Formats: sequence, structure tokens, C-alpha cells
Amino acid sequence: MYTGAKQSYQFYHPLQLFYSFFKSLVGKDVVVELKNDLSICGTLHSVDQYLNIKLTDISVTDPEKYPHMLSVKNCFIRGSVVRYVQLPADEVDTQLLQDAARKEAMQQKQ
Amino acid sequence: MFRFQSLDEDCTLEEEEEGLIEEEDDIDQFNEDTFGAGAVDDDWQEEHARLAQLDERVRDGLAGGDASSAPLPPPPGSVPLPSSLPRPPTSTLPPPGLEERGGGDLALSLTRLLLGSDPAIAGVGAAEPDRSCFPPMPQAPPSGLSGPSSSLLSYQQHQHILHRGGVPLPQVNSHSIWENNMGFGPVSVSPGLVTHMEDSPLMSIMKEVGLPKRPLPIRGEDGLDLSERVPPPRSSSPVIGSPPVRAVPIGTPPKQPLSHALNQQIHCPTAVHVRAPVQHRYPPPFPERLSPNTLLNIANAPLCRPPFPPGVGPVLSQIQRAQLLNSQVGPFPCGGPAPPMLPGGGGGFRPFFSQPPPRVGPHAAPPNHNPIRHNTTHLHPQHRRMLTQRMQSRGDRGGRGGDRRSRDPYSNLMTQKEKEWVARIQMMQLQSTDPYLDDYYYQNYYEKMEKRLERDKDSSRKEPTTKLITPQVAKLEQTYRPVQFAGSLGKLTVSSVNNPRKMIDAVVTTRTDDEEKREKQVWNKRRQILYIVEKMYSLLLEVQDFEKKFLQTPEEQREALLEQHKTHTLQLYNSLKEKEWDDRVSDEQCLMIMSVRKGKRLISRLLPFLPPPQAAAVIMGIARNLPALAKKDKQDQVLCWLVEPVAVVIQAMSSSALTDLLQELQGSEGQLPRVLQNKFGVTLLYLILSEGERMQSSDPNCQLMDDNRWTELVFSVTRELLKVPSSSLSPPLFTPPNLLSLFSRYVDRQRLELLQEKLQITALSR
Repeated sequence: MYTGAKQSYQFYHPLQLFYSFFKSLVGKDVVVELKNDLSICGTLHSVDQYLNIKLTDISVTDPEKYPHMLSVKNCFIRGSVVRYVQLPADEVDTQLLQDAARKEAMQQKQ
Repeated sequence: MFRFQSLDEDCTLEEEEEGLIEEEDDIDQFNEDTFGAGAVDDDWQEEHARLAQLDERVRDGLAGGDASSAPLPPPPGSVPLPSSLPRPPTSTLPPPGLEERGGGDLALSLTRLLLGSDPAIAGVGAAEPDRSCFPPMPQAPPSGLSGPSSSLLSYQQHQHILHRGGVPLPQVNSHSIWENNMGFGPVSVSPGLVTHMEDSPLMSIMKEVGLPKRPLPIRGEDGLDLSERVPPPRSSSPVIGSPPVRAVPIGTPPKQPLSHALNQQIHCPTAVHVRAPVQHRYPPPFPERLSPNTLLNIANAPLCRPPFPPGVGPVLSQIQRAQLLNSQVGPFPCGGPAPPMLPGGGGGFRPFFSQPPPRVGPHAAPPNHNPIRHNTTHLHPQHRRMLTQRMQSRGDRGGRGGDRRSRDPYSNLMTQKEKEWVARIQMMQLQSTDPYLDDYYYQNYYEKMEKRLERDKDSSRKEPTTKLITPQVAKLEQTYRPVQFAGSLGKLTVSSVNNPRKMIDAVVTTRTDDEEKREKQVWNKRRQILYIVEKMYSLLLEVQDFEKKFLQTPEEQREALLEQHKTHTLQLYNSLKEKEWDDRVSDEQCLMIMSVRKGKRLISRLLPFLPPPQAAAVIMGIARNLPALAKKDKQDQVLCWLVEPVAVVIQAMSSSALTDLLQELQGSEGQLPRVLQNKFGVTLLYLILSEGERMQSSDPNCQLMDDNRWTELVFSVTRELLKVPSSSLSPPLFTPPNLLSLFSRYVDRQRLELLQEKLQITALSR
């Protein structure tokens, strides 16, 4: 056990909502568009609190002008380079999402 | 960084290469000086002392030396180097080639001095100090020689040893990449090369510029025992100004005991590190860090799997798999019994981490003074099930491309302990004291899904309702006080992963803006409404969560919680109702709220929580204002959200209330037609009528018929229904089946048929 931790801020990440949200999408197919305009379609394998994303069975959605991705099956995407994540609409409960956002706002105010 | 061709050879990671190409590139001495062979990490003071002494001697020797040799070696000077290489290790110094160069005197004398003084180096041979740009500066070069020279020597020894393949070499883990780059690593171990390497110009560079000190376990007496896991030495100039890097940098993963490296796998002390022979992947003679290409050739054992294959080969047992690197929430369960500590069984990725004392158990009410943390990285059982199914279906379809992925040559860059260390740090941040709150969306989403599944499927599928149990970890730390120094202003600017610091102290101040324009008024109004709605929503959410909270609080606090709950509910209602009257909902307020889509949603969710009389009042209000509401809803068309909760309320209404409601609905003149134009209105009407009919048919003594109101109302309704042109009659959401029987009570046959046709009420048997 790493004993160097003086103090850990549990759930420090302020936008825990998104982590929670993406967790519920694990196993679904998403399209991730990066800031460098690369769009990757794949199955969401896992996500962490920084919203880093791992995708499996990926394919580049746009015409394959990114041939270097041809052989890649799985990838890890750092959260900070993601521009959009396209989700299946029926997997999202917007009402619940709104409620979660409200709760988060309430929490942050405290 | 090194320009030697020979070095390039080594660097190209192709082990088959045997010969050295003779010619070399220009050696850019500047480059060498700047980006030397890596940091020297022994005691610079020592070195300095030694150097200082030497320096004196050198200066003496230099008295007659050729100063011109100092600055740069003549490029051709480097060329003959390789030619001078093939020499036995114990050759005497200096290589004959030295004389050929200018400045050979200096080089010579220096070489003799240095090499002579340090017996360790003496055996090495080929001191190629024409890099003997021993700038008159007392630089590390000579110092570097003496210091790492021993390591240098040992490397030579290593080469031989490696070559013989006898002694198992403990992993010199951290230096792999750099070794390769420096041509040092045992990448290409062929006899010829070994010899070459000894005498290569590289060596001389090494000696001059200095080597990172390798804490080789073979030399047990090595006092300086750096962590083998230290990140590769910086390729900065080891000399000018800064002392060489020697300390273990911040953030270094914990050192792992050497014994690990040496032990046979079977004897690995902790279960954590047991990972079958795969762990120590390569045959002992070779240091652990080999280039991928060599690995492929050498190690035939399946290497570590890439981070997330769908399945894991049989090499790893469940526990081992469970302890694999797992920095993300992983959804890959395997079938099979799960070891008790690891819910969900083994698998490539574990959503569960080897946190120190993770307790998997039912959630107990936490004692107040010792809050318990929950590991929210667990997957809801429903979720897991879904994923398994999906995995299976995919697995059947896609076959196993596993072989392709089975050998990941880059998977050995971190040891198990390191991976876990990183993973733990990340996981620490994910523990929370109140998972329901922090993980609100996820937990609720899957609960809803469960409920939905239960509703849809019949009970033939006898699966117990699964609940997400978040394992708890005892909370370790208490409050964090940022480091402060007495008498200093402000806070320290040090923050790290573990103690992030608030960077800005921002205070929120509300400004009052008195200026109001026309548009602003409108916008303000709307904003105000939204604000009110949001406020109500927070209350509503509190009310919604009441039940859960109730179950969680201990007995004595339940009373208080109940009270709080009631207050909230009351508040909610109060915001809707008229100032004075308790039983009437404020029209304007209601209207205001319902004019926004959010408000409608709010009301529809609010209704189930209100006590019946209040709920009835709300519905009355709605009915009263229906035309206006309908008009405002033209854009959104979401009034129909209200149907369900309203239906529930209506069915609980008393007969008098029902009559009142019907009356409200009809309201003033001309209201009913407008009501009929709206889908929701029609549906509402039907609901009311249907409820009345139900009351009448089920309970003959019901008070519905006591006064004539009901009858009259129904009459007027039917009249209206017949009068209204079909086009303006909006189809309802659904037609209750007992309408026909209702109408048949009140109207004659002819009209009944007309009604039937108009409303498309199907005749059902009574």
C-alpha cells in the first residue's frame, strides 16, 4: 500500500456525475471524436474519473484516412483529448441525468 | 544521441547483426557534451575531489602537451577507432590508434593516469580518451570514469556472463531503454559484439562523460542501492552546474525488494505478484528489459496480455487475473465461481481492486465517527450480466483473435507492483462516503432498469432482484490542513494528486441590477420561473430520496427525518397554492410553472408525493386552467406527461371531488370545446368519466347520483361531444373501455350510436 498519501480527497473530482454517467454506458457502442478530428467508433470498455476512455473493437468511422489505425483493435484515449462522445440515445435517461446534475449542483454549493 | 555507427547497430534492436560498420558519422563533440551518456549518479563531491587531484597531475602532464588537441577531435580520428577495437579485454592501454591523433600526448597521459589509478578500469582497455576534449575544465569525464568505471567493468563481466548464460542476472530493470540506446544493453549478444563493445568508442565516451551507476546486485557490496525502478536517468549533461541525479525522484513507485527479482516464480512471496511464469518472462540469463524484437525471438512463453482482451488465457489463475493491472472500471467478468474477495469472478479486468482491506458485505449503517468509504468501481450485477451476455454473443460470433494479441511485447514495461500502485492511487480517489449521492446516476439507472425488467418479464425468470452492493473501505484520513508557515502570507503553491488545493478563493456576490428593459423583463420572468422550478426540484429530489434515507438512518433519527420529509412536502405544496386558501392552488403560480416544460415535468413528478387532498387541489387547478395551459403547450406538447400521475390521483378521488373536477373542467362557457381540442383535455375528460362510471357500476350506493350535478354534467358533456365537429375533436391518449356503458346510461340509443361513431368507442360487452 502506498503510504505516501497524506490526504486523499475522496471523489475529489468535481464532475463525478460524468464518471457515473459513463459507467452506465460501459459495454455500449459509442463514437468518440477527438480534438484532432479523429473519430473512433467502438465499445466502451471502461472509464475512470478523469474520463479517460478505453474502447474495444474500434474502427475509424470516417473514411479511413487514418490508415495507421487499421490494425488497432483496442485503444486508450486520454480524457483531455476528447471533443465529443456520441451516445446511443436510448441508453440515456435524461430525466435521471437532470436529477443527477441538480444533486451535483446542490452538493457543490455546500 | 550517440552517433557511432556501431552504436546505431546496437540500437536497431536486431540481434542478428554481427558486423560493425566501419565508418561512422561525425562525432559532434558539442552534442556529446550536452547530451552525454546520461546522468552520473554517484557522489559528485567525491568525484570532484578526485578530479581535482587528478587535474593537478594532468596539468603537469600537459605542460608540454599539444593544446590544440583539446577542442575537437579531428573527425577522422574517430574513424580508426573501430579498427582498433578488436582487442582482448585485457589489452594494455592505450590503443595504438591514439598516437595517430593530434593531442595524443594529452590523451595518452590522461589515459595512463586515470586508468592506471583505477585498477578496475585497467582491465577494460581501449580507453579512448580522445574525446579527450578534456576541456581544461575539470569535468566529470575523468571522474565519471572512476566512478562508474566499476560498473563499467561489471558490465563487461556481464557481457561475458550473459554470454555464457550461466548466472541468472537479476533484472536491472530501469535501464532497459537507455541501455539499448547506449548500445549497452545486451541486445545483441554475439561474441563479436561483446568484444566490440568493450573497446568501442562508446566506452570511451562512457568513461569520459560518465555512466549512470548501475546498482548491480552481483556486486553485493554496492552501498548505493537505488531503487531499480528509478525512471531512466536523465540524458542531461551530467556535469556543468548541476550535480548528478541520484535521489529517487518524487513519485517513484515503491522499491521492490530485490529478492523478488531473483526468486523463482514459485516462491514469490506475496500472492499479489504471483502471475505464473509469465511474470518473469524471460529466461534468466537476460536482463528483463529486452527489446520487443528480441523478446519475440527469445521468449516463447505467452507474454503479458494487452490490457483488455475479452478473455484471458489459461495461464493465469483467477486470483492472478484478479490482481492484474486494472486501472479502469472493467466490465469483464468471467464465468466461474468468484473467490470471495473478488465478486464477479476472474477476468481480464477487474472492477475490483486489491485495496487493502476491502470488505465486501452488506452495507451497514456507518458509525458516525468513523465514516466508511465505498468503492464505487463495482458494477451493478445487472450491468455485469448484460455485459457477460454481450461478451458471450460477441465471442461466439467473432471467434478468437486472441492469438494475435497474445504476445504484447511492450507489456513488460512496468512491474506488477507498479501497476498496482498506480491503480491504487487512482482508486483512492474514487472512494466516497456516500455512494448514493456521488454515484447517483449510475445506481439509479440500473435500479430503474431492474424494475423495468421485472415489469416486462414475467416471474418465470426467477432471478432475485439484484442490488448493487458497494464494498466499503475503512476511511483512513481525516481532515487535511494545508501546510502553512507562521507569519507567511498566502498558501503554499504545492498541490498534488493527494492534496489538491483550492487555487482561487472566489466569493460569490449577487449583484442587483435595476435596469429593466422590455425584453429583459420577459427574460427575467422566464428566468424567475425557471429558478422557482429548480428550487422546487431540489425539494422534490429530497422528498424522493426520503425513503432511501429513511432506511439508512438509525432508529432515533427517524423521527426527525420524518418531520423533515413532511416539511419538504408541505413546502412543495405551499409554493403552489394560494396565499390564503389551503385547498386551492394558486392559478397564476400554477400557470406560471406549467408554462415551462420543466415545470410540467416537475408537477407530474410531484403529484405522487402529495397527500390526496392537496393532489386533488392541484388537479383542480390544472383543470381550471386547461385552455390556457393547452395554448401554452402548443409548442412543447408535453402535457401528456401528466396523464399518468393524474390518473392515479383521480382514481383515488372521492365522488364529490370528482364531480367538482368535472365541473372545473367544464368551467365557463366555451371551455369545454377548447378542452376537447386538446389531447390531454380529452384524455382527462375520459378519465373522469370513466372513474365516475366505475364508481357507479361498482358501488350502487355511491354518492355520485345524490345530487344532480353529476348527471347534469354528463349530459352537457355528451351534448358537447355531439355538437363539436369531428375535426376539432382530438383523439385521446387512450379510451377507457367503460365509456360506452356510461353513455348508455344517459343518452338514448340514437345518440349513443352517434357518439359511438364519433368517438370510435368500440362496443364492449358489459
